[in-house]
Amino acid sequence: MSRTVTVGMCSIVALAASAAAAISDPLPPTTTYRQLPTMPFSRAMEIDSTQKPQVMERQRTMLDARYDLSDQPMDGVMMSGGRRAVQDGVRVRLPEGQTWDSLAAMTPQEIRDGDLLPDGFKPLPHVKQANSGQIFPQFVIDEINAQEDRDLTRFDADFDLPDHVLPEFPPPIFLTTHTHLGDVSRGELLTIKNHYEIMNGILTPVQMEGLRILLTPFPQEEFNQTEDRKTAEQHRGIACLDCHSNFNTNAGFHHTPDVRPQAARFRLDSPSLRGMFNQQIHGSKRSLRSIEDFTEFEQHTAYFNGDHVSAARKGEHIPDRSHKVAFMAQMQNIIDFPPAPKLDPMGRLDPDLATEQELLGEQVFMGKGQCAACHIPVESFMDHQMHDLKLERFYAPGEVVNDFVLLPDGPIKTFTLRGIKDTPPYMHDGRLMTLADTVEFFNLVLRTQLTQDEKDALVAYMLTL
Amino acid sequence: MRAAALALAFAALPALGFAQIGNPGFMAPDTRFDAQGMPEPNQPNANDILFAQLVAEGGMAEVALAELAVERAGAEAVTDFASRMIEDHSAANDELAGLAEASGIPLPDGLNAEHQAMRDRLEGMEGAEFDLAYMRGQIVDHQKTTQLLMWEITAGQDADLQRFAAATLPTILDHLRAAQGIVADLTTDRVAEAAPAADGN
Ligand code: HEC
Ligand code: HEC
Repeated sequence: MSRTVTVGMCSIVALAASAAAAISDPLPPTTTYRQLPTMPFSRAMEIDSTQKPQVMERQRTMLDARYDLSDQPMDGVMMSGGRRAVQDGVRVRLPEGQTWDSLAAMTPQEIRDGDLLPDGFKPLPHVKQANSGQIFPQFVIDEINAQEDRDLTRFDADFDLPDHVLPEFPPPIFLTTHTHLGDVSRGELLTIKNHYEIMNGILTPVQMEGLRILLTPFPQEEFNQTEDRKTAEQHRGIACLDCHSNFNTNAGFHHTPDVRPQAARFRLDSPSLRGMFNQQIHGSKRSLRSIEDFTEFEQHTAYFNGDHVSAARKGEHIPDRSHKVAFMAQMQNIIDFPPAPKLDPMGRLDPDLATEQELLGEQVFMGKGQCAACHIPVESFMDHQMHDLKLERFYAPGEVVNDFVLLPDGPIKTFTLRGIKDTPPYMHDGRLMTLADTVEFFNLVLRTQLTQDEKDALVAYMLTL
Repeated sequence: MRAAALALAFAALPALGFAQIGNPGFMAPDTRFDAQGMPEPNQPNANDILFAQLVAEGGMAEVALAELAVERAGAEAVTDFASRMIEDHSAANDELAGLAEASGIPLPDGLNAEHQAMRDRLEGMEGAEFDLAYMRGQIVDHQKTTQLLMWEITAGQDADLQRFAAATLPTILDHLRAAQGIVADLTTDRVAEAAPAADGN
């Protein structure tokens, strides 16, 4: 009725809108919501396990086509804890017949039309898009299992990148409250089993209680007690610091909570929590305004599914805002960046301590490279903004890779560059393996036409941060 | 062209064993699987069936509305767009019909209420008024189709339909971009026409 009554009375626009509202069906519910399992658990596990070799093979083929993942450590450059070497060189593979300079000389349109953007610059797929969820490197699984008898192995998918392109493990811990002590981790991974012994005498009671909750597993997502899980046993769950090992990252990854349908959810590489005290917006897309907000929401919306409905079913934990959340936040807020002895209080290189090459790198960073427009030295190399790098200028979106749809990233939060050598792989989804890769990426995206000397200097500079 | 190339690329995948891989937890208990744990072909789940029906309805409407547009549109860009819709969506509709038949999915044979109403409304318009109403409808339809195709890629289990969804997606995104561009041009033109001569004031 209302359809016919409005005819002739409204503008075309209003008419189109009201008519559509009156009669069109919504898209199917599972475009937004997670469906409940229909297959008996034991059968689903059997099928998932049978598929697993194929799933891993498919991922390996994709990765090998994109990157050179060989072990090429940089001469004499270690991560802050001295446990793993920093990897050298550009690892993204070039398309046939191109060089980095030939690409940089083209317009975005030419690269897009010629289908010439290196695949390694495009969004990186999760190992198993449909199943989704958290995937941990084997060394993390082994250590947590050894300490806590809690097994994070999934029967449907494994971690996909080799250990040497990942952050060192266990990472060192630096505290804003005890810079004089340096790394206080004792070379251990903090867990619910050992944290008290390691941290008593250094933390306040409030911080200690925050740490305890950050290390307490709660059932969520693929690690829970229902048939909607991907572990053989009914699982005790996941702790915050399972991913943010020692408040840094272990490169465990996940899916963005912010996008549906499932095929469009992009991969998320776990960020480090070092320096959170200075960061004003949290999450690559959610722009949550405080560490308290992030902590509270993470804990009770199934961590990264953006799905309070499923979380409620699997055992959501709603921490009390004025006590537990505040304690967890206070603990996170004393985690410092690793020391950067060559930086002065303004975040600039001390010319007495820095090499010629590092100083040239800083000059490029502040000038021709435009990096400092977003990575502001005195603000811990962030700007508390989200920026749209508009990578889709260089490629046609919509291609499907391993069940994942490559779509424009849209605005993403600027990441800090402090301690950057400690946190590969890079970008929100971990699509770039080395700092040299990030330099080629930004050189193309920002069209800065850097020379090889300038690129090398930028890498050398970033190693000092 | 691009869609055709992609369709070819995807057709080659099953040989390598790289079909879409869904979440078996969400599949029906009577699904038959092959030795690698992949659903055997032509076993649509409820999502595949709904997908095929919704996309078939949408595709049919694309052609019907575009035929109207070829007759009534004022701007050349709109006529060109409509011709492209007839060509691309007729091809996709035929392909979908073949896949649906192979999987025993019945498809609708007429416009749904939403698109019937849209056609009735458009039949009362012509020229610039028609152009804008048609093109704005095209944006919404292509937005919905985009999300539907992406939904099928992980929610379906009929590999042929999933490959169809993946191969069609770039074309639909391209249509959407084109439609947005045309609407932007049409509305700018209108503003330009309505504006008084630029003699300063
Ligand atoms: C599955 C691994 C995982 C677990 C478990 C996890 N996180 Fe994270 N964390 C991530 C990822 C991935 C992101 C990036 C999220 C995004 O970009 O939206 C993140 C982001 C954050 C951020 C924002 C960092 C930034 O730079 O924007 C904070 C703070 C944080 N997590 C704290 C927590 C707390 C507190 C918990 C426990 C309640 C927790 N995390 C549990 C992986 C994890
Ligand atoms: C327009 C603002 C902007 C400029 C200019 C810019 N960046 Fe960034 N940078 C970002 C954003 C936003 C991200 C996160 C992008 C993402 O994850 O998709 C980022 C991420 C990075 C990362 C990865 C950080 C991590 O933890 O993974 C590195 C390294 C980096 N930038 C270096 C540079 C360099 C070097 C330059 C100059 C050549 C530069 N950036 C210029 C905004 C900028």
